[in-house]
Amino acid sequence: MSGHADGQASGGGSGGDRSGGGGPGGGSGGWFSSGTVGQPSLFERYRIPLGLLVLVVVLRPAVASDILLGYDAIASKMLIMMLFVAAFNLLFGYTGLLSFGHAMFLGFGLYIPAILVQNGLWVLPAGGNVTFFVGVVLAVAAVAVYSYLLGKLIVGMGEIYFALLTLAFAQALYFIVLRDWWELTGGSNGLSRGTLPDFVEQTRGAISIEAFGLSVDWYWVVGVVFLLGMLALWQLIRSPFGRSAIAVRENEQLARAMGIDTTRYKIWAVTFSGVFSALAGVLLAIQNTGVAIENLNVFTSGDTVLMAVLGGISYFFGPIAGAFTWLFVEDFLTDFELWQFPLSEVTLVTLDLGGVLAYWQFFLGALFVVVVLTAPEEGIWGYVRSIPTWLYDRVTEGEQ
Amino acid sequence: MSRPDENEPAVDPVASPADAALGVDALTRTFGEVVAVDDVSLGVPEGELRAIIGPNGAGKTTLFNCIMGTLSPTEGEVYLSGTAITDEPEERRPHMGMARSFQSNQLFTDQTVLENIRVVVQTTQQGAFSLDLFRSHYDVGRERAIQIAEVVGLTGDLEAEAKNLPHGEQRRLGIAMALATDPDVLLLDEPTSGMSPGATTQTAELIEEIHDERGLTVVLIEHDMDVVLSISDRITVLDRGNVIATGPPDAVRENQAVQDAYLGGMREEL
Amino acid sequence: MSETPGTHSRLQRLSELSPAAALGLLAGVLLLGNAAVQEPGFFIDQAIGGLVYGMILVMISLGLALVLGLMGVVNFAHGALFMLGGYFTYAAMASYGLPFWVALLIAPVGVGVVGIVMEVIVLRRLYGKNPIIGLLATFGLTLMISEGVRFVWGASAVQPDKPAFLTGGTDLLVTQVGTYRLFTVVVSAVSVAAVYYLITNTDLGLTVRAGVQDGEMTEFVGVNLPIRFTAMFFLGSAIAGLGGALRVVEQGMDPGVGQDLVLLAFVVVVIGGVGSIFGSVVAGLLVGWAQFLVPAVLSALAITTGISSIDVNGIGVLVPFLVMIVVLLLRPRGLFGEEGLLE
Repeated sequence: MSGHADGQASGGGSGGDRSGGGGPGGGSGGWFSSGTVGQPSLFERYRIPLGLLVLVVVLRPAVASDILLGYDAIASKMLIMMLFVAAFNLLFGYTGLLSFGHAMFLGFGLYIPAILVQNGLWVLPAGGNVTFFVGVVLAVAAVAVYSYLLGKLIVGMGEIYFALLTLAFAQALYFIVLRDWWELTGGSNGLSRGTLPDFVEQTRGAISIEAFGLSVDWYWVVGVVFLLGMLALWQLIRSPFGRSAIAVRENEQLARAMGIDTTRYKIWAVTFSGVFSALAGVLLAIQNTGVAIENLNVFTSGDTVLMAVLGGISYFFGPIAGAFTWLFVEDFLTDFELWQFPLSEVTLVTLDLGGVLAYWQFFLGALFVVVVLTAPEEGIWGYVRSIPTWLYDRVTEGEQ
Repeated sequence: MSRPDENEPAVDPVASPADAALGVDALTRTFGEVVAVDDVSLGVPEGELRAIIGPNGAGKTTLFNCIMGTLSPTEGEVYLSGTAITDEPEERRPHMGMARSFQSNQLFTDQTVLENIRVVVQTTQQGAFSLDLFRSHYDVGRERAIQIAEVVGLTGDLEAEAKNLPHGEQRRLGIAMALATDPDVLLLDEPTSGMSPGATTQTAELIEEIHDERGLTVVLIEHDMDVVLSISDRITVLDRGNVIATGPPDAVRENQAVQDAYLGGMREEL
Repeated sequence: MSETPGTHSRLQRLSELSPAAALGLLAGVLLLGNAAVQEPGFFIDQAIGGLVYGMILVMISLGLALVLGLMGVVNFAHGALFMLGGYFTYAAMASYGLPFWVALLIAPVGVGVVGIVMEVIVLRRLYGKNPIIGLLATFGLTLMISEGVRFVWGASAVQPDKPAFLTGGTDLLVTQVGTYRLFTVVVSAVSVAAVYYLITNTDLGLTVRAGVQDGEMTEFVGVNLPIRFTAMFFLGSAIAGLGGALRVVEQGMDPGVGQDLVLLAFVVVVIGGVGSIFGSVVAGLLVGWAQFLVPAVLSALAITTGISSIDVNGIGVLVPFLVMIVVLLLRPRGLFGEEGLLE
């Protein structure tokens, strides 16, 4: 992402990419720097929105190309998961709170609009478009209240308690949905019928949105919501509020001694993270044309943590890289036909790796352990970011 | 102050704790069986530069932590300009006019020097918590942060990450952050520890300058006796959690109890 | 960790609860009494079931609390070790035809060895680090173990045959209880007591504890700390493995069990109080019983009051979490937790 190599956006000018404030420090006055102290160039300031836009435009053709996956249905799912993991990382990477039960926040967005659309309520007809949007508003309001109260209850107990308790609360919520005492959630079957509002059209597995006589491809709708959501997250992180949250993560003791009410910043970070996660949930319910309870279980929460850490929690694009890699690898390695295509042509010796690679999570787990032990905050994106610097160093070395 | 002899060190607080700029009244802090601070009373008049000295384990940093609310005292009260603040949460205190620097380098290490100071300025301007979501942080407190960096002489390193600064500059950054809270009372915990003699002198001058120009009340924990003797108005000597003497530098230096407890011990080491 | 108050004084401390808590306790006793009178057979069944489940939970939580309290590492993989104990037992009995007794010995040792490997390669790097890093790293290990199990034994559940002499039932007047369940209770109680004694009353427990407080000093005294840490970890892993071995025969085992149970073990540790090994034993039993007895109590209450909707179907699984929330609201440190640990 960083177009120049000298110090990759010095501190204040990093536009919030690195939660820590900046890449390796060093001289200002690069190609894109304006030179004024602490005042980044326009490019620096809007690097992230630009990157997000490029991502949305490029992602689908990229995964659809034969070199990668060869089909594009997964692209919209990728964007949704990216938004979800980024919302998770607002909490972990930027505020320093590890939520091990983030699927519960996703669940609000998954279930509430779907339940409302399926059943209707009072003047709101089942399947109605208005019903759906009321459901979305309801979901956001519910998740905001829930996550605020949850945060208030558990944020003050320390990091480890936070991780364990989010895990426990998520599991409790999962059981409530699974038992389905009020016959709303479909229990272990989830919700599959009548959860989509009228404006969602399904034709041969492809989803499109019909509104005002127009038919818009689902991917672009997801793209727009993704962009809006990510931009909001970006603004949150670069706002004074976000900077205080980062200070809390960096050194809580110091933050408190300097007059920052660390507890309240944490509670609000949980709240915002919950709201954006629920937003991703709303999209996911449409993407899957229904709700599967698996999206609410402990494994979904765990995957979220894995994606974020593998991607690189220190960076705004870390969760994006993590979600992309995860979904890509999952799809690539578990699908035999696709799997054989690139390898059988490249290698002369055909190894029967397919059987072993079906257990890709083993290797992923190993990779994860290595990442956590060596550079827990860098991840894939940290590695990718270091390449331009490395290249630059190589080139200048040659010149000397 | 009506004291019989200003130059005679005494155990009692100089000013009544409840009236002083910073007061500590009969403060005790225990850790299990260990009494780290034992019934300490202090009164630091407004504008004074007070040094607190004492051998290792005398309870100096514990006293600081109790004053700043990092620890809650087992017994006793802390006063700021006549108001009891013992039960105020730690994060409220900088907003009431007191700030500290830490003994070890406590910084937002991955942030730039500018951002370290700026986030404190922002907190000072906006309060302990603010849902300021729609602006960029570039627009909040930057000028003020640069001014403060100038005061402590960090202008050249604004864009450097705090963790990459040399040790001495990290200590100065700590002081800058404390200054950014706009304090009336400034507590500095060994600001020159680990510094070269040159840097020590510089820092001592910086502290004196801050104290003189801003009329701040400064309380200083310090090991370097040259610094202590040259810049402080009064010295309080702690030993095993107790105040054994308070008075002007010369008087304290001559005091027998101090020499026995503190300087005597150091001589033996030499 | 500096002093170990006796069990008695700890119970005393707990008894210094408010009148409201005493009232709650009284209500609990009344409800339990009602359940025992209304459906004695069901009640005893549930009580034994809760005890068995509770003991299994204790066996997992004990190792978790041990490593957390002494070494400051949250071992997410502890549930996976439990699961591995079950699979080792299955392999020994079903694949190698070894008798149950031998399997019951082999499985814990095998799991202990896996634990040692884990400790030496991964966990040793985590002592003194941010516990979050430990949680993440061991989460990765969990993934590896679960996937490894899936690779070797497949994704579906496995269950060896019960040994013949433990298949029958034992008559307890109002109901019959499977002999194997009683066997589980006895074995787990003995092993938990043994481990507990080892930690609180022997040189090993004391030196590890001292080592955590001041590693340099202890090493200076001439105690080889790393080996003792490893031994501690072996102990914690082995007892979880034994729990898995006991459970697989009765309930079977699948690759997801580890995650589910480690979650409950976390709940147990949080209820018992992080840092307290005694607390995790008490809380384990408490959670086991609560999960099984609350349905019995509700069912009896539904009969007594005639309101059938009180008897919520499948409420049991939710109970541990409800207990945890209540405990946290009333006593954020947990029942026996020490102040300042992991805060």
